[in-house]
Order: sequence, then structure tokens, then C-alpha cells
Amino acid sequence: MSKVMGFLTARRGHGGRWHWTDVVTWVWLIGGTIIMFGPALWLISSSFKGPAQLAEFPPTLLPYVQELAVVDGYDDPLPLFTATLEDGTTQVLAEVRRVGTNAQMVDPANPETRIDVNIADRTPVRQIGLATDNYVAPLVANDFVRYLWNSVFVTMMATIITLLTNSMAAFALSKYDFRGRNAVMLLIVGTLMVPLSVILVPLYSVVNATGLLNSLWGVILPTVATPTGVFLLRQYMLTIPDELLEAARMDHASEWQIYWRIVLPLAAPALAVLAIFSVVWRWNDFLWPLIVLSRRELYTLQVGLNTYAGELNVQWHYILAMTVVTMIPVVLVFLFLQRFITTGIAGSGIK
Amino acid sequence: MGQITLRGIRKSFSGVDVIHGIDLTIADGELAVFVGPSGCGKSTLLRMIAGLDRPTTGTIEIDGQDVTRTSAAERGLAMVFQSYALYPHMTVRQNLSFGLENTRMPKNDITARVDDAGRMLEIMDLMDRRPTQLSGGQRQRVAIGRAIVRNPTAFLLDEPLSNLDAELRGSMRAELAGLHDRLKTTMIYVTHDQIEAMTLADKIVVLRKGVIEQVDTPLGLYNRPQNLFVAGFIGAPNMNFFNAVAVDGQAELPGGLRVAVPGNGPVTIGIRPQMLHLADPDAPALTGTIRLIEALGAETVVHAAAADGTAMVVVLSGQPALRTGETIRLAFDPDALHVFGADGQRLD
Ligand SMILES: Nc1ncnc2c1ncn2[C@@H]1O[C@H](COP(=O)(O)OP(=O)(O)O)[C@@H](O)[C@H]1O
Ligand SMILES: [Mg+2]
Repeated sequence: MSKVMGFLTARRGHGGRWHWTDVVTWVWLIGGTIIMFGPALWLISSSFKGPAQLAEFPPTLLPYVQELAVVDGYDDPLPLFTATLEDGTTQVLAEVRRVGTNAQMVDPANPETRIDVNIADRTPVRQIGLATDNYVAPLVANDFVRYLWNSVFVTMMATIITLLTNSMAAFALSKYDFRGRNAVMLLIVGTLMVPLSVILVPLYSVVNATGLLNSLWGVILPTVATPTGVFLLRQYMLTIPDELLEAARMDHASEWQIYWRIVLPLAAPALAVLAIFSVVWRWNDFLWPLIVLSRRELYTLQVGLNTYAGELNVQWHYILAMTVVTMIPVVLVFLFLQRFITTGIAGSGIK
Repeated sequence: MGQITLRGIRKSFSGVDVIHGIDLTIADGELAVFVGPSGCGKSTLLRMIAGLDRPTTGTIEIDGQDVTRTSAAERGLAMVFQSYALYPHMTVRQNLSFGLENTRMPKNDITARVDDAGRMLEIMDLMDRRPTQLSGGQRQRVAIGRAIVRNPTAFLLDEPLSNLDAELRGSMRAELAGLHDRLKTTMIYVTHDQIEAMTLADKIVVLRKGVIEQVDTPLGLYNRPQNLFVAGFIGAPNMNFFNAVAVDGQAELPGGLRVAVPGNGPVTIGIRPQMLHLADPDAPALTGTIRLIEALGAETVVHAAAADGTAMVVVLSGQPALRTGETIRLAFDPDALHVFGADGQRLD
């Protein structure tokens, strides 16, 4: 602990004084932290705000909930306000209903007398609290658990198949010498330049013709062959010495065993990188699932999220909350696989 | 059994000829060494025997069976690579077992075989380590172990000691010789180091630029090199060569000494540094000016220039009283001369 303090209070100036580089360092680090974490923290904080608070200007930093009070004669709890009365005194009152710019309020201690207060003369009584309903309602009532499961299924399956097929292609392209190898590689890398929107229509016809419309496999299968993945894995596999494969060949290993027991384990860092990419890509896919899936129970999270953005009103509180939910798996994947990223990306020669 | 026969082997890589027709038989149980300078095609030849490369033309037979088109695994050979090529993600035990697992051998037999090899090579306490946690010498042992467990018809070793330091190389060389004595399996050993070749081989195959220069026992090569290349390649320090012209069975060495030689016309006369000794004061002698003296105690290496400026090296026993700049007078046994014709081939 004293080491940490020593590190934090260390200064480049003599005798512990501030040197200008200390100031720049701190400004840079703190500024960087705010820029990196700010939006995410803002999103998380906002996801716990109710719709009214979200519409407020200026916005508040932390989520608040309005205090409620049970008042005799009213079935539902009433929201509390601090009202400034005509005689200039302030009092905590509960609102019964609003009529135009006036609010009908009662004193919780004396619920018989109604008091009319202009809405400009009162402020809500609030304390920091979480509008957990933002999360509960979509997850319980609106099938979001279902969407979550669909997204997990699509992401997992697509990633597994991507890793398998791409590593096989990369193995062939890096370790076998055959005529036209470079042409094939060029062709694969060339498809990097074709955006999804260009092949959307033909892809739709193919998926339709094969009967995969409105099926999760229709979302998964067209995405599994990724040129980036093949390229990344091939570059990495080129660094695996051929002598290892030859040793395995002398050791009676079939080509499949060489792939499965030698090349795949040795390409693990590159596979981890591709796994991260694939998870993020598939998890965030929106356009293609939106086109293939039209039945509600098949929606993935991203498509489901879209249903809250209606033509006339946007349910920001749900969108924000579910956005946080969709972020969680990606963050987890990064946490667990991040140590592979640097070695994998450095090793595959891609910066 | 493990007799290997090569017939008319040629190999070209994208049009460039690397091996120019090799005919060779290696007898069962023999330790044959392929020696030659870097890039002469030793590894290429070994890889073709192993089945990792296909010859462009020619056939390879093992025990009379044509295996030219047979895959590496089915030839029943084992190879030790220069880089060892141990599987980095497997422990030593897994490295040794891998080849046996692929032949679907029962688990107990695998363990027994691996333990046998481990004991023989004294690597039992390394079994659970990974190759990256081993020293160079230990990796070498594991690589040899991986070849042994398979019980191959022949071992192929491609410069197995070249990545070790000099001291370790010496002891591993002795161990390999011992291993061959015990296993009595055919071995083909590739090296560019003539000392390794001389100490290990039953039979040395000297290669240059993809052709065989000579095949013989180590002493056969040393005593009767068939051409200038072999004469210069085998023996350290290198043989001294003098250019001369033979007339009527006589040739004149620089300085005027006449020696009997077979043949006529331009010849190259070779004599090993160890075969020269100081001449008696009035006897005829080969003379030279001393340029450098390396006194090693038991012997003294003298670098000198002959009368016509040809550099020569002399290894004298003991510590003779010589000084740089002096004239040295040398004598030799005429039988120790090697005479080569204008085409570089041995005459006699
Ligand atoms: N795969 C290959 N492609 C092209 N040329 C090769 C290949 N392998 C070896 N060569 C060439 O063949 C020659 C012999 O190589 P090699 O057998 O490795 O020599 P050595 O093992 O005797 O040092 C070299 O000139 C080398 O450049
Ligand atoms: Mg070589």
C-alpha cells in the first residue's frame, strides 16, 4: 500500500516538487480515462434513470428516484414534492393529480385539504436510487431473455464454425504447396473489399432458396467464412516451422492429426484473437439478422433492441438498459481472452 | 533389416538441379555419414530417403522394396531434425508417445517403450517438462528418444549436433556411437563437420554440388582420397598442394626437389601437414620461409611459404627451435605423396 502511495506521489521535480511533465502526465492520464470510461459510465448510470429523468434538462449525473408516500384515502403511493406556498413557506406535499400548470396536492399528514400549487413552485423530493424496472420489464415481460439466448446461440455457433473452417482454410493455404495457392489467397483477401450491402440481395435469395429464412442458422451460416480470419490465421501458421509437420509425418500422423494435434494447438493465440473478433462481430450484427429474422421469438438482442425505437416514441430507458446487457458478454470475452490479443496480433504480423 | 539403395536419384527444385544422379547402397546396420560443404544437397538427399521429398527421377529401395512412391510414415524410418522439431505444446512424454499413439499401439506398450527409451537416454526426470524448459543437450536427447521409441528400420539424422556447444558435441558424438553399437540399426548421419564424419562413420559419403565425390571408410578416405576435393576436405589442417609438371615420371616441387610421380603433364602433388618433418642438414629438402609458428606444446604448427610462394602448413611433433622468417627444410616419405592429374582425379 505504501508502495502504491509512493508511486502515485512520485514527482520528477527535485525534492518531490511538481515538474511540468508531472502535470502533463496527470492531465493526460485523467483526461484519457474520462474519454475512455466516460461514455460507458454515463450509459450505465443513465440506464438506471426513469423516463422522466432521462428527458430532463440539464441532465443529472446520478440516477435518482422520486420519493413516494402512502396517503390515507389514496390507493396508490403518491409522489412527494417540496412546494413553495403563497405565504412563502416551504412544505413537503404529495401530488394527487396535475391539471394544466397547476398541481393538486395534499399534505400527507392532513390528507383532507387540497392545496393548488403552480408546477413552477415545486421541486420533486428525490434520492439516489436505481430504476431497476428498466431491466426487469424487458427481461421478464418483453422476451429479452429469449433474445439473449438467441444471441448467445448465434454467437457461439458462428464462432465455433468460424474457427474450424477458417483454420482449415488457413492450414491449407499456409502449409500445402499447390497450384493456384496465391490466386486463392488473393481471391479470399479480395472479398474483404466487398461490403455486406452489395451482396445483401443475392445472399437473401440464397438463404430464401435454401429455406433458412426465419431460422437462426440462416443468420449463422453466411457469416462463418471470414477473409479476415483466414488471413490472420494463415499469417500466424506461416510462422509454425514446417519441420514440426514433417516430424509429425514421420511419426505416422495423418494430415488430419497434423491439423488437429499440431497446428491447431500451436495456433491458439491467433485462434483466440479470431474468437474475440468473431464474438464481437456476431454479437453486434444487426442488419443481417434483421433481414433474415421476422418472427419475434427468433430475434437476437440487437434486433430486439430495435423494437424499442418506434416511429413515434423511443423508449430510451429500455434501450439504455438493454444496451448495458448486450455489452456484458463482450466485456467478459475481452477480460478472459485479452492476454492472447497482444501475442496473437503481434505473432500474426498484423498490427 | 535396413538396407537402403539409391538408384539414379536426381532432384531439381523449380528447374534448378540440386542432386545430379546418386547411386548408393547402405548396408544393413551400417552407420553411413553424408559429409560435404553447406548447400551440397545432403539434407535434400536425406529428405528424399525419409520420404519428405520426392526425387525428380530415380528410385529408392529399402530392403529390396521400391519405396519411391511410399509416404514417409510407411517407410518405417525415423528422423532427427537439425532443429530437433520437438512439439512445443507437448511434454517430453507426449513427444515420445505421439508417434506410437498414431500407430494405435496399446497404452501399456507405449508407456513401456517410452520408459525404456527414457532410461536409455537418461531423460526419465524430464518426462513432464516441455521442450522450452530443456537445455540444448536435453532437447537433443529427447529428439533422439523420439526416433528410438519407434523402433525404426533406419535412423536418419540431419546435422543433429550442430546446435550444441563444442564440449557437448564431443560427448553426444560418443553417445551416438555407443547407441549405434547397441541398437545395430542402420543410421544415416548428415554433417558438414569432417571430425564427426571421421569419428562416427563405418562409411563416409563425400558429396559436392549434388554428386558423390567418393564413398569409403574413414581411413580409406584419409589414405587414398580419389580426387582433389576429397583430399582437401578430409584431414585437418588441410592437405598442402603444389602444382608441378610431370616429365618422364619425375616432377619438381618448388625449391627444386624432384619426386617420382605417375603420369605426364600438369599434376597437383599433395602432402598432409603431419607427413612433413624436419630434414637432415645435408639431405635434399623441400624448403620454405616460416610465416607463423603456433606452438601447442605437444605439437607445433608452422605456416610457411614455399619457394614459389605456395602456402603450406606443417605439423611437427614436440617443440622444435624455429623462428619466424627463418628457412625451414622439410623431408617426407615419398609414399605419403598424393598425386592428382589435371582433371583433379588421383593418379596411380
Ligand atoms: N525446397 C527447396 N526449394 C528450392 N531450393 C532448395 C530447396 N531445398 C534445398 N534447396 C537448394 O538445394 C541445395 C541443397 O540444399 P541442402 O540439401 O539443404 O544442402 P545441405 O543440407 O547440404 O547444406 C541448396 O542450394 C538449396 O538452396
Ligand atoms: Mg542441411
